[in-house]
Amino acid sequence: MGQYLPVVAMLVLAVVFAILSFAASKLLAPRRPSAAKSSPYECGIVPSQEPPERFPVRFYLVAMIFIVFDIEIIFMYPYAVIYRDLGAFGLVEVLTFAIAVFASFVYLIANGALDWGPAKRLGRRDPQMSATRTTTSTVRRVGLEGRPAGDEEVAA
Amino acid sequence: MTSLLFAQLGTPHRIQTPSVAWSGLLPVLVLLGGAVVLMVVGALLPRRSRHSWHLWLTLLIAAGSIGCAVPLWFRVRDHGPLSILRDAVRVDGLALFLGIVIVVGVMLAALLTDGYLRREELEGPEPYVLLMLSATGGLLMASANDLIVMFLGLEILSLAVYVLAGLHVRRLRSGEAAMKYFVLGGFSSAFFLYGIALAYGATGSTNLTDIQRFLATNTLTNNGLLLASFALLLVGFGFKVAAAPFHSWAPDVYEGSPSPVVSFMASAVKAAAFAGLIRVFVYAFALDRHDWQPIVYVVAVLTLLVGSVLAVVQTNVKRMLAYSSINHAGFVLVGVQAASDRGVRSALFYLATYTFMVAGSFGVVTIVGRRGDNRHQLDDYKGLARTEPLLAFAFLVFLLAQAGVPFTSGLWAKFYVIGAAVEARSFWLALVAMLSTVISAFLYLRIVLAMYGGADEADEAAPAVPRLRIPFAARIALVVSVVATIGFGLVPGPLTHASKTAVPKIAAGK
Repeated sequence: MGQYLPVVAMLVLAVVFAILSFAASKLLAPRRPSAAKSSPYECGIVPSQEPPERFPVRFYLVAMIFIVFDIEIIFMYPYAVIYRDLGAFGLVEVLTFAIAVFASFVYLIANGALDWGPAKRLGRRDPQMSATRTTTSTVRRVGLEGRPAGDEEVAA
Repeated sequence: MTSLLFAQLGTPHRIQTPSVAWSGLLPVLVLLGGAVVLMVVGALLPRRSRHSWHLWLTLLIAAGSIGCAVPLWFRVRDHGPLSILRDAVRVDGLALFLGIVIVVGVMLAALLTDGYLRREELEGPEPYVLLMLSATGGLLMASANDLIVMFLGLEILSLAVYVLAGLHVRRLRSGEAAMKYFVLGGFSSAFFLYGIALAYGATGSTNLTDIQRFLATNTLTNNGLLLASFALLLVGFGFKVAAAPFHSWAPDVYEGSPSPVVSFMASAVKAAAFAGLIRVFVYAFALDRHDWQPIVYVVAVLTLLVGSVLAVVQTNVKRMLAYSSINHAGFVLVGVQAASDRGVRSALFYLATYTFMVAGSFGVVTIVGRRGDNRHQLDDYKGLARTEPLLAFAFLVFLLAQAGVPFTSGLWAKFYVIGAAVEARSFWLALVAMLSTVISAFLYLRIVLAMYGGADEADEAAPAVPRLRIPFAARIALVVSVVATIGFGLVPGPLTHASKTAVPKIAAGK
């Protein structure tokens, strides 16, 4: 059990440090609360607007493509170290794996994962000013199919 | 130092790579490769097409997979099971029998999917790709001889089905079903993995052959670890086959998921999970059967009763069928509980015949659900016999088969299972199984009465609904299912013979 002593010591140290920090902050810190300071996520600056929530969903796709290649490299790297020892068997295995990864990449590209920007140019008139554009015409209401009529508030 | 380094680089010492008998893995590889090809080609060609080539390619690949499995079947029958990848995968009769059942489940689900996707405007190759990938996991699970490989198969199987459950992107219920299935499924996978860890701790191996050998040659002074691993593994399998008390996800997920996907969940996913259950418990833990049999006994009783009693109070046909599929899982558990050759044989027969019944049932549900996949109330089936006599007749056959009426395969399935339970002297379990048949017969008759009875005068005043459109591919699936259900009911011989050949020998008692 002696080999685990450093882990236990580390654990005790962590707990002691946390307790001491809390106690010191309670005892030593001056207390002058204000509305700005006691707001959630306070940093002393009053938020003037809601934080932006919408950003292009395409970033997720880019992240997913990144993961596809990341995983491939994770397997390529150890293979590169011992490719001589593995011989033809290793080569075939890695090629199979690379083809499978490439297939998923082709799938992503073919489905427009890297087509950036709006697909079509907008019309001459400023679409923001058009009277026909209302929240009911531009915001597609998702998930109303297959629901009883009473549930609409929940879905909207 | 440098010279030493160069000397090492100059003569690489070969790592022993396993020799792989690829021919034994062909059914899995065909399905996997086919899925990848369909994914790439489907992505490069336009998503919508007048010809449903996605479907036909899927059927071709699935048929190719079965075509590779049939020669293997005869080879295994004559020369004994193949052990591949250092005994991590074992191709034997059980693996091939349930493998073919799973692939047939894919074919039937794909036939139903085509019309569904067109009706809901969701065309694309993805559902077929996911069906095939999921089946790949199922095949791997059915032939796994190592708990790690089995877990791998379970995850491949499950991940694809989680996505399939959320296939209908515009329907909130579909997403809800996918979310529920994913969260609870991930939870059950964790149980399963913990069970593997404890089994390893108790026996020192994850290989099922080694586990069996260890338990045969050693007596554990303290088998607490092993018993805990039984419990945890059973939770993992019990979730996938929707056995009570791990069934609570099934009605919600079945109700929300697209109906063709539900047919796959109830047929192929169940078959794969039972393959794993039989392999681990009936074979690897054969000598400890007196420890696990009571647990499976209780689970089977609960599953039978919950499935039949709760089905009766439902008014949604999809939920009714979900509970009835829980009830059927209970029947297969009765066969597993017997832990005998006859029990396993009856479980295999049950799974094979149930695949056709349930695929056909959910095929009818798919069609009657109409656009939006939302008309699943019992009232929506009122007068179906008048408007669509053939469709109603097909549903009648599937429902009667599920109730176990003579001249359908359902009778033989139930008969063999109960026979195996009686042979294993589990009389009370057999009695509960028969009782639950009577209770669930009420539920099937309720649907039949709605279809054949509900033509009142009041309905004449109701607004006329457009006629149901029955796509060509779905017609094929329904006809095949009806023929198989009645055919195996009249001539069960070939299937019983095949299931008899499929069952490997169980290790004898201590």
